[in-house]
Amino acid sequence: MSIVTVQLGQCGNQVGQELFDIICSDAVEGQRKTYSTCSCERFFRQSSHGELTARAVLIDMEPKVISHSMTKAAKSGRWRYGEHSHFSQKQGSGNNWANGFCVHGPRHRDVVEELVRQEVECCDRLAGFMPIMSVAGGTGSGVGTYVTQCLRDIYPTSFILNHLTWPYGTGEVIVQNYNSVLTLAHLYQLSDAIVVHENDTVHRICSQLLNIKHISFSDINRVIAHQLGSVLQPALSADSHRVYSRNPVGELVSSLVCHPEYKLLGVCTIPNMPSSSIAYSTFSWPGLLKHLRQMLISNSKMEEGIDWQVRPPSGSGWPRNPTGGGSFNTSLANLLILRGKDVYSAETGGFEDPALYTSWLLPEQALTMWKSPVSFNKYEKSATLVSNSQALLRPLDDMVGKAWNMFASRAYMHQYIKFGISEEDFLDSFTSLEQVISSYSQLC
Amino acid sequence: MQRSKAPVSVEVKQVIGALCRLLTATGLDPVPTPETFRRAKFGCGNEEDQFWQLLASILQNSGIVSDEVCTQLRGECRKLVTAGLWQTGYYADWMYETEERGQEGTGFSSRDLLLALGWLLAAGTLENLMTQRVQQLDRTLLISIPVSRVFSGQLPLDSGSLRRLQWLTGCLRHQGRTLLSMLQERTKVLHAVLSVSLSSTGPSCSYQSSTVLKEECVCMRQLCDVLEAYLKWKQVEKVFWTWMDSVVDGHLTDPVVKSSPHAPTWSPRVCHHGNQGLEKLQNVLSRLPTAQVGLLCMKESAHKRGKMTLFLVIMIFLCSLQDGLEPLSSLSSLHTLTQAYRPRLKAESDSCPVRRSAEGSSSGTEVSGVIPVSEAAEMLLHEEALLLERRDKQRLANRMQLQEMIGRLDELVLIPP
Repeated sequence: MSIVTVQLGQCGNQVGQELFDIICSDAVEGQRKTYSTCSCERFFRQSSHGELTARAVLIDMEPKVISHSMTKAAKSGRWRYGEHSHFSQKQGSGNNWANGFCVHGPRHRDVVEELVRQEVECCDRLAGFMPIMSVAGGTGSGVGTYVTQCLRDIYPTSFILNHLTWPYGTGEVIVQNYNSVLTLAHLYQLSDAIVVHENDTVHRICSQLLNIKHISFSDINRVIAHQLGSVLQPALSADSHRVYSRNPVGELVSSLVCHPEYKLLGVCTIPNMPSSSIAYSTFSWPGLLKHLRQMLISNSKMEEGIDWQVRPPSGSGWPRNPTGGGSFNTSLANLLILRGKDVYSAETGGFEDPALYTSWLLPEQALTMWKSPVSFNKYEKSATLVSNSQALLRPLDDMVGKAWNMFASRAYMHQYIKFGISEEDFLDSFTSLEQVISSYSQLC
Repeated sequence: MQRSKAPVSVEVKQVIGALCRLLTATGLDPVPTPETFRRAKFGCGNEEDQFWQLLASILQNSGIVSDEVCTQLRGECRKLVTAGLWQTGYYADWMYETEERGQEGTGFSSRDLLLALGWLLAAGTLENLMTQRVQQLDRTLLISIPVSRVFSGQLPLDSGSLRRLQWLTGCLRHQGRTLLSMLQERTKVLHAVLSVSLSSTGPSCSYQSSTVLKEECVCMRQLCDVLEAYLKWKQVEKVFWTWMDSVVDGHLTDPVVKSSPHAPTWSPRVCHHGNQGLEKLQNVLSRLPTAQVGLLCMKESAHKRGKMTLFLVIMIFLCSLQDGLEPLSSLSSLHTLTQAYRPRLKAESDSCPVRRSAEGSSSGTEVSGVIPVSEAAEMLLHEEALLLERRDKQRLANRMQLQEMIGRLDELVLIPP
């Protein structure tokens, strides 16, 4: 089973490159043949000489980032991108979603579809698609949404897992909230699951946990890639009968995103530390899992600064305050992935507590567990939690609120109208995201 | 919903031919020839028997008439058809007549049976027949296991159970997709194996396998025939219905047709094709745009006045929709309420705010935070009334002042320079 990755825009192409790099170096390291074969089959096609080529299509409206990513991959010596599986133009989308979605996307539809088709034909069995993009810019968000729509049209039964990078709250692009609202509202209809990384959170991980002084996008992308990799690398699930699961995207989607109103997934991993310190640290499963559980219920997305006061509500008539600060974070469903030494001795009872979940889903339906005795990316033990919970409610609400304020004063509207996105389209998008916000805030 | 008569031409015969082939492929026997159809349209000749049989076998095969009834009415084709048509909701005068009268009767002809056939086709019987045939032929097809649909008396109907059901449905859907992709992989692998074995052993050996395979092969061929016939039929179906319209027209204009006390109440010139659901939907759809038009009008008025933001207009529009009122046509100056509101979806359980004020906007004390729609609408109306009153007062005062001034000017003489 193979996943075809579609890298879109600057962010998508950089994150994608880091992801393939981590997966490849993790797969080829050590003597673990089955793990390595399974991982390679998922993400790479192998030539008769044993060369690994990423199952990826690179799309951007500017040539620079793509050529940079391709050079970097080739330089690694372990893997490379397909020689012809990329498409770029000379003129970017100017951070305008409408330009990407209404102009660039339709204009280059045929080329992109052909590239994807070629990549799909190289798979024995297609597990699904993973478009990687940001929501703030023009190409990633606009063209990315358009391409996702095309994928949905052509492969109606395939799984599509979108990975989105949310911009800094303080702002990278003036119209980032517009772009985000339009992207999210559209993807919510098209995608099977939306995995989100917030730049703010990842930035904090870089500064506080990894002790990086001058944080670059490359550092941030590496953290995102690490977290994504720890989700997507081979693992054994409860009913995979000691064989690495062959359908990672399908299983992830069916364990976390079965309800059409809830599609936003957050990821957190533990531990995160500078690579120089890893060798001098020891971890125990109880310690890691205790921290991870508290991170989940108190909605702190990293180990540092966990609020230990938050407790799951007990008894009936829980007064849950959905958007209030410091409140309990209710989960709809969680996927716990444990990798490393003694993984079968890990006690995961803390995640089976019904109080963590919404009242209408039983813990056995809501919690899924993947395990792998193979350690990931140099960490002797590591735990990853993919969670469909209220964790993203706050940032989403802020995003929509800011976008609405701008929309209320008609700021920059003409930039969108001139490419064919009307006020009605905006209102539709606002409405559908309000529905998402409402669904998540009523989760209890 | 009358169909256009444009494409009626010589091809009708071929089109009916396509239908006949499809009917044969679904396992019906015998099927009248296209020529018989043509003659039946004019109600002449003796095609009745063939149509009686066709209708009977359609009703029987599609399971509209149960097997029990079939065995009871063995040999009484006419009764069986009447009963079957009744069950599909078809009505015609001849169905009331006894057999003897029917034979003597003046009005009845094979055209009536043709119309009944049209009714059955329009009601989707053909698709039912085909589905059954395909299930017979394709043994690899997974047919849903009949589950008993008896629910316990205490079926939980709260929103939690509903959501759980939705979740489980989604889960099943995902599993279905996974299975589908497995099937695709299996087909691919099977194809690879087959092509390898074919090329290595040569085509001569491939047919020497067991009888099971041969049977399977025959089934597959028949299956292909059914599907092909259906495809062809679908491409030309429209012409058939145009022709059927002409049959209906002929039936209605024919002076032989007598009026009956059971005459239907609907307009006789309208052909329904048993698809009233569509009409309902159209009704609903035709009503929708008016709401949007209302919104547009209000937007325009807002632009003209320039005194309030569009969002307030939308809000009022939403209120009026909720209250079942027409959109407010007059919107006076609303200087105290010119801030932008963000509409929110109302929580199910609590009676909390439908919208709340946008962050950062300057708001009066009474409108800070959130206001329910109805309250805001009331406030707006109240505001309007106040302003109108003030305007009237001002007008009156102005007029008085003007009159006073005119009175004073009466004694004045103006000399042009």
